[in-house]
Amino acid sequence: MVRVFNTLCVALMGLSILALYHVSEKTRVASVELSNVNAEIAREQASMSVLETEWERVAGPAKIQALAQSDLGLTGAPTAQLSSFEALPRRGDEAPLSDTPIRQANVQVPAPRPTTPGL
Amino acid sequence: MAQGPTIYQRRIVIGAVLCVAAFALVGVRLVDVTLFRHGQAAVAGAGDGLFARADIVDRNGELLARDLPVVDLYVRPHALYDKDEAAHGLAALTGADYTKLKFAFDHAKSPYVLVARQLTPDVQEKVMRLGLPGLEFEPNTKRYYPDGRATAQLLGVTDPDGNGQSGLEGGLDVQLRTAPTIPVQISVDMRVQYILANEVEAARKTFRALSAGGVVMDVNTGEILAMVSVPDFDPNYRHLTGDDSDHNIMAADRYELGSVFKVLSFALAMEDHTTTPDEVFPIGNGLKIGKFIIHEAEHMPATYTAREVLAHSSNIGTAQIALRSGGVRQRQFLDSMGVLHILHTELSEFARPLYPAAANWGTIETATIGFGHGISVAPLSYIAAAAIVVNGGRRVTPTFLRHTADGRGEQVLKPATSLQMRELLRYVVTNGTGRKADIAGYDVGGKTGSAEKPIPNGHGYQPHVLVTSFLGVFPIDDPRYIVFVLLDTPHGTKETGGIALAGSTAAPLAGRVISRIAPILGVPRKPNVPGHENT
Repeated sequence: MVRVFNTLCVALMGLSILALYHVSEKTRVASVELSNVNAEIAREQASMSVLETEWERVAGPAKIQALAQSDLGLTGAPTAQLSSFEALPRRGDEAPLSDTPIRQANVQVPAPRPTTPGL
Repeated sequence: MAQGPTIYQRRIVIGAVLCVAAFALVGVRLVDVTLFRHGQAAVAGAGDGLFARADIVDRNGELLARDLPVVDLYVRPHALYDKDEAAHGLAALTGADYTKLKFAFDHAKSPYVLVARQLTPDVQEKVMRLGLPGLEFEPNTKRYYPDGRATAQLLGVTDPDGNGQSGLEGGLDVQLRTAPTIPVQISVDMRVQYILANEVEAARKTFRALSAGGVVMDVNTGEILAMVSVPDFDPNYRHLTGDDSDHNIMAADRYELGSVFKVLSFALAMEDHTTTPDEVFPIGNGLKIGKFIIHEAEHMPATYTAREVLAHSSNIGTAQIALRSGGVRQRQFLDSMGVLHILHTELSEFARPLYPAAANWGTIETATIGFGHGISVAPLSYIAAAAIVVNGGRRVTPTFLRHTADGRGEQVLKPATSLQMRELLRYVVTNGTGRKADIAGYDVGGKTGSAEKPIPNGHGYQPHVLVTSFLGVFPIDDPRYIVFVLLDTPHGTKETGGIALAGSTAAPLAGRVISRIAPILGVPRKPNVPGHENT
């Protein structure tokens, strides 16, 4: 009986060794893959970081103002053109701004861009 | 008679026990790894340690500063076939000095020679294409500022090793390094910062000023929404070119601010009831105090009410008002307003105020300090005091970190004094020297300041060499923001009739800034407030 038990134990131990080796090997392979994925994530994060920074640069106020002035002819809106939602009339009300005196308002319509003759 | 286990049986039992213990150990470890340490390995490593300093973002989350991945380039000279050609190629691509590189390659004492630091990925690729042997790229980071010059003086820079050197990079260095993955949110609003930078630079060019600056501050929270000092520099290249400067005049310099200081003198007079806005003061041609005679900057009538003294910026009238308080009380008041102390903020720059010692604070000093001469303070320090005057009289400390809660503390002035001062400041803009800051739709209050600059290393002042400034407050009935601008040595233009006083230089600048930032800051426009249009 003891001999059979011993044999079973040894067999179980052998199987366990094989199983542990298998798990160990799978872990090693997974670890390598994890390292690669981590490296890839780090690269992607770095790329995203660069792209976000680049976006901040190209979408910054300085660029937008320069483009708005050169391509759209826009300038700063005079404060006479500005209002708030609270000042908007309700449906059926008279316009509240109709009797508002506006002094020295100088709203300028941008000159149309010259067109190329013949096109 | 029962026999005990033989030696072999004992060995088998011991072996079995050891096996069971070993399996139990493995089992425990498996449970530990699978249940309790699950996911830890995956979290660690992904991007950790990539950057040394935290991002800086503005109050709306817009990126202002970030570490970007770059490389440092080293070369093993012994691996090079043609050192001269390698030095030529590397110098051309990296900007390194050819002569120094060639010398280092020929006389290398260590196996590696540093060629260049902080190469960007595109330069790295070009270097790789040279096909040189012995190149080593060491990962590093470079601090990048997307908004460039617009935030240069405010944010400051780091050194090549990533240590904060100036501005908020220096002042917040520990915080930025301690938790590099958590962005630091500052109080600045990039939209306001850009508008201020844009307008201040334009005014500096128009009036050919040596330097100029501006600050926008929330008078209730103490948050600085924008701070500009020009000339500035490109923080991404760190090389000063032309008339570039890395000196923040709004925090690191001190000025005799001139007539904007009258705001404090009037606040003292209103607080102590030594005068009323309608009391009449003789102005005349000069006020003689001992051997000194105080003059006006321009011709003025024989009398002014106190309200008009402030509105038209009369030195003689203000001197009389200041003398009523006396030197001791004036010094105590200025001390309580904080202008006699160094103002420490999150910036690494600060300036020590200059003022007479108590023993030398006599009658003439009391009179001249009343209108802003004989005392030099940092503009930021003055702004903090002005905020107390208009915010209900409570102390507020300027901060560059975002916090939306009310930052007002100790009551320094009576609320009634603050209310009276707001009315007076509005009168300056509607009827006095600050008219050019009166913009349609927003009730602005303010005060101009035109101070002659002291002779460097000497006594007296330089005639017609001015520092002009304007303190703007809006909306004046319930103040939220201060806009303070300063021009150092401006010159008059054809449009101003050759006049360089603050009313013609600093006041319109502040008006333009307010008209652009007020809608962004959500300050409601009042349709029935007339004024000049922003042009």
